[in-house]
Amino acid sequence: MGQRPDDIALDVRNLRKAFGGVRAVDGCNFAVPRGKISGLIGPNGSGKTTTFNLLTGIVQPDAGQVLYRGEDIAGLKPFQVFHKGITRTFQITRVFREMTVFENMLSVTSLSVPDGAARARAEELLALVNLTHLRGEYGGRLSYGQQKLLEFARALMTDPDLILLDEPAAGVNRTLLQHLLDHIHRLQERGKTILIVEHDMNVIMSHCERIFVMDYGVKIAEGPPAAIQRDERVIDAYFGRRRQH
Amino acid sequence: MERSDVRSLYLLGAFLVCAYALPFVIGLGAGTVRGDAVWLSYLATVVVGGLMQGGVYAMFAVGLTMIFGVMRIINAAHGEMVMMGAYFTWVAFFYLGVDPLLALVFTLPLAFLFGMAVQKVLLNAAVGQPELTALLITFGLGLVMIYTAELIFTTDFRTIPYAPGTVQLTSTIAVGQNRVISFAMAVVITTTVFLFLKFSRLGKAVRATALNAEVAMVCGIDVRRIYLVTTGLAAALAVAGGALVSIQFGFNPETGVLYTLQAFAIVVLGGRGHYVGALIGGLMLAVLENLVSLMVPGGTAMVELAAYGLMIFVLLIRPGGLMGVKEG
Amino acid sequence: MARREHTRNLVVLALVALALTLVPHGVSVYLRSFLLFAMMYVVLALSWNIISGFTGYTSFGHVAFYGVGAYACAILVADYEWHWLASLGAGAVVAAVMAVVIGYPVLRLKGPYFAIAMLGAAEGTRVIATVWDSLTHGGLGISLPSAETSMPTYYAMLALMAVTIVVAYAVGHSRFGIRLNAIREDEGAAEALGIDATRYKLAAFTLSAIFPAVAGGIQAYKVLYIDPPSVFFVQITIAMALMSMLGGKGTVVGPIAGAVLLYTAQELTWVNFPTAHLIAYGLFIIIVARFMPRGLVGFAINRGWIRKGMVH
Repeated sequence: MGQRPDDIALDVRNLRKAFGGVRAVDGCNFAVPRGKISGLIGPNGSGKTTTFNLLTGIVQPDAGQVLYRGEDIAGLKPFQVFHKGITRTFQITRVFREMTVFENMLSVTSLSVPDGAARARAEELLALVNLTHLRGEYGGRLSYGQQKLLEFARALMTDPDLILLDEPAAGVNRTLLQHLLDHIHRLQERGKTILIVEHDMNVIMSHCERIFVMDYGVKIAEGPPAAIQRDERVIDAYFGRRRQH
Repeated sequence: MERSDVRSLYLLGAFLVCAYALPFVIGLGAGTVRGDAVWLSYLATVVVGGLMQGGVYAMFAVGLTMIFGVMRIINAAHGEMVMMGAYFTWVAFFYLGVDPLLALVFTLPLAFLFGMAVQKVLLNAAVGQPELTALLITFGLGLVMIYTAELIFTTDFRTIPYAPGTVQLTSTIAVGQNRVISFAMAVVITTTVFLFLKFSRLGKAVRATALNAEVAMVCGIDVRRIYLVTTGLAAALAVAGGALVSIQFGFNPETGVLYTLQAFAIVVLGGRGHYVGALIGGLMLAVLENLVSLMVPGGTAMVELAAYGLMIFVLLIRPGGLMGVKEG
Repeated sequence: MARREHTRNLVVLALVALALTLVPHGVSVYLRSFLLFAMMYVVLALSWNIISGFTGYTSFGHVAFYGVGAYACAILVADYEWHWLASLGAGAVVAAVMAVVIGYPVLRLKGPYFAIAMLGAAEGTRVIATVWDSLTHGGLGISLPSAETSMPTYYAMLALMAVTIVVAYAVGHSRFGIRLNAIREDEGAAEALGIDATRYKLAAFTLSAIFPAVAGGIQAYKVLYIDPPSVFFVQITIAMALMSMLGGKGTVVGPIAGAVLLYTAQELTWVNFPTAHLIAYGLFIIIVARFMPRGLVGFAINRGWIRKGMVH
């Protein structure tokens, strides 16, 4: 592939996970480039969700490595993964419903960070996503779109270097989606690395520099959008005769 | 099943073996265990008697596991419903002169209605809420039931003299007649309920709702109606349990408390919502309790400790019990 | 919350504490006793609220810590001639250790299972206290040497209440409390955002165990006799839960208000309806749990009288 080690943010090597007899992830390999927006796609059952869960620590791998800054983070618990500088959002929003928006933001910074700094950062991010006027409202009372923004802002509280987005376009209208994508691009411009798992092909093709395609638990293709769109294996995976719809 | 799932099942099995061995070990040390044939036949009697007692326990535990399985709520008044069944039977016997088993003909429908009323008025609001709501509501209900019973019947222990004498099962094992009759009745009732759950339309709807209430609703099942049936059935089973217990043991308003805890232990051991699990759990708990009672000095406190100990260790090893998924 | 508000609240607390300090001299022993127990229930409700209100792990066996504290005091004072205040400290330590030992495995359990496990733990502790008679005198109970304990225990309970209120307040209005709330709201999401749920839960659980233990010790010294059923009384756990729920679970004012209201109502009912009061209590529990799960504070928030949230 010709990538130098420090060009790589996340190096996934030979990741495996089986549930009973089902090999959800069966030797998955890819390297997420630093400072760029990448996409992880695949048809239903391809193992991309399991891979995502493996990366974020929700599921323990059976084998394989996930190298982040030279360290193998495979098998770490979610809160440990977080402290390495990796954040994630959720497909269906998981804001803290009976806590205020402001409290949602404050919950993220570790207790060693002084109060003043935490509050300042929270205010800054709330302003960024235009939720300042709702800071005293319960998270559960927000509209779905507002919850998506809150979750996005919340994930940025600790200024993470690697941001994993789980289907950010799910259930979101065009305008809001554009807002989110603008924010995502701005993050990338500041040097952050972003990996998006998505079903929405438009989002992936228009915004990702590099795309990894999975099927049957392994990576079957990788490359820039143009190449992926023409790749026979990818087309076969999504529309091929093997697949029963 | 996943590897950790299977592992926890083996661990649970190992624990259960130890749990059953423990009374013997303690008994050997305390001198209550003897190796002669007389004692061994005594042991056999205790085990058989325990199995029969367990059949009754299992019957009312099935009710509790149904409520827990279908609605995800805990009924802390379950023991009080058993107690209520005992008093119903007692009233029928002493004031109406009705045979305790015959009394079931009208106490069971009464109990069913009671259960439905409790569900409609009190528990429908607790479904979907955090577990504390149902716990407190049912605990309050239990208190009301205990002290109302106390007001009416006082705290005196009551018994129902019924089917005295023993049944000679084998040359060496003799069990009380009332216990055998109770067991037979429990088998009949439990089998009926199992058949209902497995083959009737309503029964299948109950099981479907237990698996996934949202999907059940989408399939056109009136979930609210299922809840009513579930609690009604659970109350009926509890009252039946009370009736069968009343002809074997003495009872007073407070005896329900221990039955509640035992039912919890059985549901935990068998697995939330698993009816066969409740059956197995009931048998296993009763036998263990009887073994402890036989060989471990210390009286009823030790029997209680056995039930709590069993429950806690199952929760620590495999909350889902024998038949559930690992986490429950 | 602005520093102004914190200071104001502290002043209010100091004034109330002052009033309570002056009160006992002029009143009957019964009233003094009433106040002591009301303060005790404030302590119990606030403590229970730390693990069950803030963190969302409903402990249905918290009376175990209360009982352990009572026994620590009774055993050390009666059998080993300790000074009672020192025995309170010992009780706190024992409860803390017990909380860590029990909490580590049990806090892994989800909602209803945790509640049942704690219930089993409390009942199991009661039975152990009954059976281990070489240590606890078993079912006979422990009688403490006679002494004039009404006043000293009153002040001890007052001091305990003040400390508990300050600690609960500090937890509830801090980022530590917010993180506990996050665990309650969505433990998975909280973990994904860097919260080591195991450690936080254990911390909350241990903290919530210490104050009831000391309260139990003070109560033992006041009443000068304890036995397993009186001290491991499941209704004490119910009272803790009900008071917190009545006032408003997950707040600081809620459990305080709930404790005062409920204990007063209980005493009045018991005095006036000696036979039926437990039935009335049962009905009351049903009504509160059924119709007011958010409690008084929740009601006030819905009406807009109180701001939402604990940290502003």
